[in-house]
Amino acid sequence: MAPAIAPERAEEIDLGTTLDPHRPWQTVVWNDPVNLMSYVAHVFREYFGFSRDRAELLMLAVHHEGHAVVAEGAREQMELHARAMHDYGLWATVREAPR
Amino acid sequence: MTPGRLVVLELSRMEATHLAGLVTQFAELLDETGEGLPDDPAVLRLVPDAYADDAEAAREFRGLTQRELLERRSADAGAVLATLAEAVDLSVDGNDPADSEAALVETTLIRLGPDDLQAWLRTLAAVRLVLASRLGITHEDDHVDDDPRFGVYDWIGYRLDGLVRAADGDD
Repeated sequence: MAPAIAPERAEEIDLGTTLDPHRPWQTVVWNDPVNLMSYVAHVFREYFGFSRDRAELLMLAVHHEGHAVVAEGAREQMELHARAMHDYGLWATVREAPR
Repeated sequence: MTPGRLVVLELSRMEATHLAGLVTQFAELLDETGEGLPDDPAVLRLVPDAYADDAEAAREFRGLTQRELLERRSADAGAVLATLAEAVDLSVDGNDPADSEAALVETTLIRLGPDDLQAWLRTLAAVRLVLASRLGITHEDDHVDDDPRFGVYDWIGYRLDGLVRAADGDD
């Protein structure tokens, strides 16, 4: 299991303004009307190794805010995470962290 | 989550047979899918664009991952069908129709080790995604109560939720 950055931390980074051209990349999971909330939380626990509470919070963030950043780091790593999320049937994308 | 935990699923033979039929159709859908952007929106949902605003990066990602992803899906579906095979097999009871009818409501136990359980979870979730696409579900509240296809969709959801709880050790 690869380590991942908690959404709280990702949000902190989002708020910062930086001139660093090497912005990190993110794996984002988007809400969909089909996947069960229990299943999405299970996937976050199973794949990222998150605690039950952390997985639940992240799942709720996806559900209520429409999406959540589940990992942040090198682009290749984020693509691996997105691929894994697709394996589970979750709708995930990769993006450069917003400024 | 308890690693190495064995989950026992209780299904009627009728339910197992119905489920095997759905998973077989799902596997056929995967087999029919070729390279490139899938035409079928249900398949596209299983292999979505990984880049929302970069068509070139999305195409490249698809080229590198789609085939393998669909092959893993097929392997998962195969694992589910293998665990269902015994429950679906009614031949042991001979040809008497009364025996067959009784056998259909009989309950069978399906034992799932960790790998099979993950295959079941991923496959049931994917079958729901395909059903939702066929049913035109775009909002959580989209539901036609007297449409039997929604009954199938709900039933798969019920089974998936039960397996998730068992996998997470909530019972």
